[in-house]
Amino acid sequence: MIYKHQRIVFWVMVGCIVLMATLLFLERQRGRERILSLATQMPLDAPAASTEPVTLDLANDSDGSIHAEQRQMALPVEMNARVRALLDQLIAEYSLPGSTHPLQQGSAVSEVFLLPLPVVGYTANTSAPARVDGESPASTPVAGASPGTAAVNPGGELAVIDLRSTFVNQHPSGVEVESLTLLSFVGTLHANVPQIEQVRFLVDGQPRETLAGHADLLRTYPSRETATVVTAGGAQ
Amino acid sequence: MQAPAPSTPLAAPVYGPLNRNVIVLDAAHGGVDSGSRIGDSTLEKDVTLALAFRLRSLLTARGLTVVMTRESDAAQKPGPPPAGGSALTLDDRAGVANHARAAACLLLHATGAGEGVHLYSSELDPVPAEAAVLPWMTAQAAWVTQSEQLQARLGAAIRRADVPLVSSRASVRPVDSLTCPAVVVELAPESDDRNSITDGDYQQRVAEALAGALIFFVRQVQPPLLLPGDHAAGTAVQP
Repeated sequence: MIYKHQRIVFWVMVGCIVLMATLLFLERQRGRERILSLATQMPLDAPAASTEPVTLDLANDSDGSIHAEQRQMALPVEMNARVRALLDQLIAEYSLPGSTHPLQQGSAVSEVFLLPLPVVGYTANTSAPARVDGESPASTPVAGASPGTAAVNPGGELAVIDLRSTFVNQHPSGVEVESLTLLSFVGTLHANVPQIEQVRFLVDGQPRETLAGHADLLRTYPSRETATVVTAGGAQ
Repeated sequence: MQAPAPSTPLAAPVYGPLNRNVIVLDAAHGGVDSGSRIGDSTLEKDVTLALAFRLRSLLTARGLTVVMTRESDAAQKPGPPPAGGSALTLDDRAGVANHARAAACLLLHATGAGEGVHLYSSELDPVPAEAAVLPWMTAQAAWVTQSEQLQARLGAAIRRADVPLVSSRASVRPVDSLTCPAVVVELAPESDDRNSITDGDYQQRVAEALAGALIFFVRQVQPPLLLPGDHAAGTAVQP
């Protein structure tokens, strides 16, 4: 025999279940509508960056020449990323089968830093009163000692290119092959990023004497045209 | 009529010291730094040392004094430990050459790429005179003109020896820190066969061409002018 109060509890529970099911259904519908409304605001495809013509100074080991060739590339707007993309494209070209300057595949550039010229440093300001804790007094900015550190044009910049040690350690050794790689970098930056007036190289954030035993990585390279042959066209 | 003003005697140009009898040969690499691998079993450090020995024999036979940065597999600092016996750095090699005030400095390299002999001089822009104190990284600037003259003379001799020649400019450590006429001599195989770089006859032909050119060069080379007021000749200072 089922008591009355048991029947009441049963029907109350059935009512709660129906109510909760209805609430869940409605919430689901509202959530779906919200997602659909967001989806309609999103583009169906990734925004397509427009390509632009770039000049790559490509080295040729057989005759020691550098060919300037045109390519169409989609480049980032941000300048550091742009420089890095240009150099990565160079390495990608060199790692293709049949390359005239074969290099290992992979990313060569870890970071690119663009510094306005002249590069200033900091020196201890001896005229400033010493601090109570005995630490060094204030420092003041000083211009670079060498006249070569000044910008030739207003807005001139120094590009510091931090190479990956994996790239440097696998680079072929030899005066010509190493020089061609550096000149190829310098010439490509000169052609595409005119505000870069000087180029320096680091390896894993540290100065290194040579690329692979020969080419000087400690000096500052003036940005200049390095191509000995100019070739129009070229597919990408 | 006004009497002519007494003319002041012009100061004679002052040149830095130069030992015309001294040649520096830097056989690149050595020890754990074997340089590039040429062919199956040939290392760059061995080829450069072999060429340096051949050149030294030819030059000393002609009465010149040859200073070598290494005479064995590894280039080591002289003197007692801890400094003595440790490996020479590239800057140490430049220091050896600069102390000699040599009439010519040859940096000997070798490669398996290309053919013949590749000559490189510094990429620095030349400056007309030498200061008493020079920045270490650009000390070669006052000597670029003399280095180009040496490169031209060496190149002509290599061509006369029927050896393929590539002549260019490159920044090769430590050439920019040298205070002497300096040329990088990179020996490549004579033909497509990479092992031809170790051929004794080929190396001897190249060494004789280089030695002949050096003999003429040291007689004619003129050191750069010293800047007025600088009486101590160019001392390159390391940063």
